Amino acid sequence: MTDSLHREEFLAGFVAEAHEHLAAARRAALAADEAIARGQPVPRPTRELFRALHTIKGLSGMIGVEPIVDLAHEMETVLRTADRAGGRLRREALDTLLQGLEAIEDRVGHVARRAPVPAAPRALLDALAQLEAPAQGGSAPALDVPPDLATKLGPAEREQLASGVAEGRRALRLDFTPSAERAARGLDISAVRTRVEAIAEIVKVVPRSMPREEGAPAGLVFTLVVLTSATSQELAEVVEAPLGAVQEIQVVAAAEPARPAEDPAPQRAGPHAFVRVEVARLDEALEHVSALLVSRARLARALDALAAAGVDVRSLRLGLQDHGRELRQLRTAVMRARLVRVAEVLERAPLLVRGLAQSGRKQVRLAMEVGEAEVDKAVGERLFPALVHLLRNAVDHAIEPPDERRAAGKPEEGTIRITAAHRGEGELELAISDDGRGIDLAAVARKASAPVPSTARELLDLISRPGLSTMSAPSRTSGRGIGMDVVRRIVESELGGTLDLSTSPRQGTTFTLRVPVSLTIVDGLTFACAGETYVVPTATVDELVDVDPERLIAGPAPRREGVSVRMLRWRGEAVPFFDLRDVLGLAPPGSPRKGIVLKRDGAAVGFGVDRMLGRQEVVIRSLHDPLVERAGIAGATDLGDGKPTLVLDLVALARTLPSTAQEGA
Amino acid sequence: MLHVMFQVGGAEYVLPASDVLQMETFSGATLVPGAPAHVAGLVQLRGQVIPVVDVRARFGLPPVERSLDARIIVVGRGERRVALLVDRAREVVQLRPEAFRDPPDLVAERAAGFVRSIAQSDARVFMLVDVEKIIGHDPLPAEAHHGEKT
Repeated sequence: MTDSLHREEFLAGFVAEAHEHLAAARRAALAADEAIARGQPVPRPTRELFRALHTIKGLSGMIGVEPIVDLAHEMETVLRTADRAGGRLRREALDTLLQGLEAIEDRVGHVARRAPVPAAPRALLDALAQLEAPAQGGSAPALDVPPDLATKLGPAEREQLASGVAEGRRALRLDFTPSAERAARGLDISAVRTRVEAIAEIVKVVPRSMPREEGAPAGLVFTLVVLTSATSQELAEVVEAPLGAVQEIQVVAAAEPARPAEDPAPQRAGPHAFVRVEVARLDEALEHVSALLVSRARLARALDALAAAGVDVRSLRLGLQDHGRELRQLRTAVMRARLVRVAEVLERAPLLVRGLAQSGRKQVRLAMEVGEAEVDKAVGERLFPALVHLLRNAVDHAIEPPDERRAAGKPEEGTIRITAAHRGEGELELAISDDGRGIDLAAVARKASAPVPSTARELLDLISRPGLSTMSAPSRTSGRGIGMDVVRRIVESELGGTLDLSTSPRQGTTFTLRVPVSLTIVDGLTFACAGETYVVPTATVDELVDVDPERLIAGPAPRREGVSVRMLRWRGEAVPFFDLRDVLGLAPPGSPRKGIVLKRDGAAVGFGVDRMLGRQEVVIRSLHDPLVERAGIAGATDLGDGKPTLVLDLVALARTLPSTAQEGA
Repeated sequence: MLHVMFQVGGAEYVLPASDVLQMETFSGATLVPGAPAHVAGLVQLRGQVIPVVDVRARFGLPPVERSLDARIIVVGRGERRVALLVDRAREVVQLRPEAFRDPPDLVAERAAGFVRSIAQSDARVFMLVDVEKIIGHDPLPAEAHHGEKT
């Protein structure tokens, strides 16, 4: 029992760690792909790939997953050969390595599901074994460094230095002499590494033995070989060394000089301290914060009761206000811990697009301009499948084949651009645009047997019809998986966001998604309806109005499809008005005194309720059980009575109503 | 094997104790508009919001006034947690696997698959329920939803 428990914990750890190293491997492969496309050697990605695979091999060996060990081993061999050749990796080799990564990922998936792991594919192992050392390429560049140092710098490092210099950086070596006195000041080799990394790229750290009498009390000197744009003085200063400890290295390029690399895989500069935390632990912390919010609501209610009884509660009230503010800060802090960078969410997108472009014989460049935008991990995970679909669509349907693009006077290589930015309070805007052929409105209309859409909204409704595809035959990649209807459901129903598109013939299409950065806590209005209490997120409400039931206008056919609709005069227009108790099926329509007006896809709609109860922050727990998952119900919350209160999504509810569903199916 | 015994409409049912996560008294559930009629609503237990299946309604029995004996039995199925609302649930009984027999055809037919087998112990008859079926969301024929107009 305990054994299996340990193994269980170990497996979970393995899966998490393997995914992390696979991610690193994919990043390296991608960097290699870009450099190879420019005809450059790829010394650093090669070694990064090697290190990631080496770690994966070790981890897999520990839990006895031999198929992964076999794959990683063969891949390592290919990479070692490439490394010895100064990081010259051929395109075919990279493609095979990518297949290897996929095969490993697939097997990690089996481990995650506790399913038996299939053996490594024989054909792939053979293909890996057959990859030889790259034939082309000249000899490695020469360096003017002491011979003992020169022997420690392999072809890969030399290539790395050469391309760094070609980019306009300087190759420097910095001697760090460890001593007891320096160590006492916190200056040891790892501190030096960290400090140097902030302003330079470390190519290699070489420990060299040195006679003690030459100012090396430990008989040891570390030589850091770096590439940097900083001055020698700046470098010396960060490690509190004399200027003489820094020397420039002359790099004499070999017969075939490396061309400048425009963007060496960006690394986050500066010392960062990270801990890896399981999401479950953050959720646990959030649970406690939620519980605090709930008990605070209870305190506030008790306080109101005291005040109503004539007790002087001013100091209590102040204390509770401070408490509330601190609670909000605590909540923000915990929520922030759950945020992941959008770049991380989209980490697999470049490889995906690359694969799609290859199989569709398109030339596509993916430009990601997502900056430092962040999103809650859960939101990111839900969003990703929708983004994948939009990318698939863009590659398969929007971007034209190279000859067609040439004929249209466009560059043969199409561009798909992903941008991400924060918009307003807690909202993230993601846009996926392409410079392809644009959506053919007439073709979509023909396909759907509907009139040609005249607005973006109508077009979106048409292409979101389940099963609608504008391709005569489903393509290999877009023909399966999810459709636009699912993209819309994820964005609008699951995440409570919005989806828009704009398209113009021959220019391209842009999909714009707006989603909340975090889902869990919202400002809510509580109200009573037919004896039940409900919450609606304040952000979705346009206005609360007093309703005079006498002045509601009933049309000639008030009851349609089981729900009665009247009209409310609001801001000079007649707005469809529903009694919420009727919509929810709790009771026949009555004479509501209060109305909640909101916009459904730009058109106003009103819901009648009995009375408003208050406004407070609520923690939404989403309801995933199929028994209770319904359109219009965003989740449940605890208002302090220990019972679930439903949080309604009135916008989604409005979409289900017949008389406001003027377009679409 | 240890089983939890519960009563619905005077009959005695059992389910494996290993399926049961907890048992609580029942003091009402939050109605979920649009949910199937046999879903009594939502309850909150230890911070989790869990749907409640009214087993009486699920079995097609007429509704009764809930007594203080009413209990909810929380069962776990993978990630899902569902509470079963029953008339009463008190005992735990030890039933050996060989005590179970297939239900008589007539019973099986009437029970619409809710009863998997029958065990006799002393003079009592226990019906082993199919938890999967009870908490399943496949609607039974002619089932109404909350809020549906008739």
